[in-house]
Amino acid sequence: MKFEWFVASRYLRSRRKQSFISIISIISIVGVALGVATVILVIAVLDGVEEGLKERFLSNEAHVVLRLIDHSFFGNYQNRIAQIETLDDVVAASPVILAQTGVFREHANTIQDVIIIKGIDPEQENKVTGFSDLVQGSTDLKNSELIETARFIRDETITGGIVLGGRLAARFGVVEGDVLRLLVKLEQHPFNESMLVPDLANFVVIGFYESEIEVYDSNFGFIHIDAAQKLYNQKNLVNSIFVRLTDAELATRTASKIEDTAKFSVLEGMPDARTWMEVHAPLFSALRLEKIATVIIEALIILVASFNIASTLIMTVMEKTKDVGTLRTLGASRGNIMRIFMVQGSIIGIFGIMLGTVLGLVICWLLSSNAVRPSYWSLLVLIVPVFLQILITTQRALRYKGGWKFAVSVLWLIGIASALYCIVKPISFVDLGLSQIYQMHQMPIKINWLFVIFINALSLSICWLATLYPAWQAANLKPVEALQHE
Amino acid sequence: MTNSKETLIRIVDLHKSYYDGEAELPVLQGLDFEVNTSEILAVIGASGVGKSTLLHIIGTLDRPTTGSVLYEDQDIFALPDTELARFRNQEIGFVFQFHHLLPEFTALENVAMGALIAAANNKAIYEDAEALLNYVGLSERMSHYPNQLSGGERQRVAIARALINKPKVVLADEPTGNLDRRSSEAILELLWDLNTKSGQTFIIVTHNRELARQVDRVVELVDGKVVL
Repeated sequence: MKFEWFVASRYLRSRRKQSFISIISIISIVGVALGVATVILVIAVLDGVEEGLKERFLSNEAHVVLRLIDHSFFGNYQNRIAQIETLDDVVAASPVILAQTGVFREHANTIQDVIIIKGIDPEQENKVTGFSDLVQGSTDLKNSELIETARFIRDETITGGIVLGGRLAARFGVVEGDVLRLLVKLEQHPFNESMLVPDLANFVVIGFYESEIEVYDSNFGFIHIDAAQKLYNQKNLVNSIFVRLTDAELATRTASKIEDTAKFSVLEGMPDARTWMEVHAPLFSALRLEKIATVIIEALIILVASFNIASTLIMTVMEKTKDVGTLRTLGASRGNIMRIFMVQGSIIGIFGIMLGTVLGLVICWLLSSNAVRPSYWSLLVLIVPVFLQILITTQRALRYKGGWKFAVSVLWLIGIASALYCIVKPISFVDLGLSQIYQMHQMPIKINWLFVIFINALSLSICWLATLYPAWQAANLKPVEALQHE
Repeated sequence: MTNSKETLIRIVDLHKSYYDGEAELPVLQGLDFEVNTSEILAVIGASGVGKSTLLHIIGTLDRPTTGSVLYEDQDIFALPDTELARFRNQEIGFVFQFHHLLPEFTALENVAMGALIAAANNKAIYEDAEALLNYVGLSERMSHYPNQLSGGERQRVAIARALINKPKVVLADEPTGNLDRRSSEAILELLWDLNTKSGQTFIIVTHNRELARQVDRVVELVDGKVVL
């Protein structure tokens, strides 16, 4: 291959009479670079979002939730939990009652809202979802001081404490110590049979749940599991077991083991262990779809760029026809000729890919670096190379050779690099008003090196394929005709 | 100039036709002759008689329609393509009327090219190439590009290039056709000298009668056949 590299690299560098081809090779390089840089950047953002969301979910949620298929209550849960906790990949399991109920505010007679009630054993729940880390206020659902105080000053039964989702509390306008009435059941009015009266249980707000995940913060209320059992009149029964694993990625594999271990009888019903992935499947599959689309678009961009490479090569072959003839007389085989042009095309591709990878990674880094940037006035640095370039191209004031050429290239590089440094900053979701939707403060970036390598390989193969036809064309030139070509 | 009478190349019943659609244009119509080791053979004839075609076939750049070319009793067109390229690289040197130097490479690199294709030791190749350029009298011009050389100088580079792999035979197609008298003489002197010193075989296509008088043997082509 030494010989092929020697000839191909000389053809690439040569400027004589073929500046048009050089310009096209530069355009091809830039095309490939833009494609590669874009996809690295977009995938880094999508991966960042995915990871950010996963982290949020996994710090707040069980990895596997075991329920019966009809969500009905079941007993013997203490034993079942003990059994599940003996499984290899299981860290902890916690009994939960998950149900909806209506909320009445103090002195009001109509349902104000419907919320989701999660009855938990705080100690067990902490091991599974890190419950108390996310609560502002008290987590002692049974014996908080606020409950004692309320019992003392109010002349009504207080069933226990409730931790309300932060946004839910804001919507209700309740503060710590306020009482919330939860609907237990509707009873017939003793005197008027056509009327229903609500049977209510009183809970004191003792804390706020701030997970920054919309679903929980706006819909959930947490009460003690004993209170929940009393509320729904399900003594010693629960309807869910929440499980945490050593590794969230093991969820799919472990879910079926958990179902088996729980040993539900036919009478109780079919068990259904749902993993966090299944719960969030729509979100993650949307992200995956976006990633696939991005890679396809990248492949298309590279394809366009590779057409440039192909046309550059076809033109080089046309121009070098006579040289091909000469090389054949010197004993170069068709294989030698073919490789010369394939190497030339691949060099263009490799340059583009390297440039694109560096550009993509640098922009990723700038997007995730919170360092304070100089003001936009520093963009004036660009004036220097622009001025010199204008001088060179219009006035021919400088002999554009050797030293100057190098100096101007370096100045361009510095100019563009500092422009990037000034302009590309982390994108703040807070400023854009998107922090509620994405539940993150700034656009997250995560570089997946394996993917970077994959994209490099993909782009390289596309560029390489583009060289095949022109190279084949060159290899099949008849030596005698090529020699006589003018 | 030579005393050996061994046969190097044997041309047997060689035909070559070109086709223009259905029409057959016969160019070579049954050539039979031999080329001996270390002789200088001139092929003469009117323009268009097929001298260059013959040279291209002997040089394996083109294939005959029928007939064969035997190098030391081996039918070279029986070789597969890659082997044929290798054979051309190792055993045959070309010198053309128009030098056909590669414009992007220096004189030295042009000379070395044939050996670089065979991919051996780079340093040794460039030493050989330098020696050859010294021999043809261009030691001052090694790093010049073809467009910085005169016509005679280019042709001398081309001769040096033909010799880099020490081929058994050098094929020259009107080597002086494009040069003034003084340069021509210098080139011819160089060829004679090479023949004496290294015993290389030369086949020179020319319509220069004066040149033809100076060679060992002349083969004249008339109407696609050999006239001795």
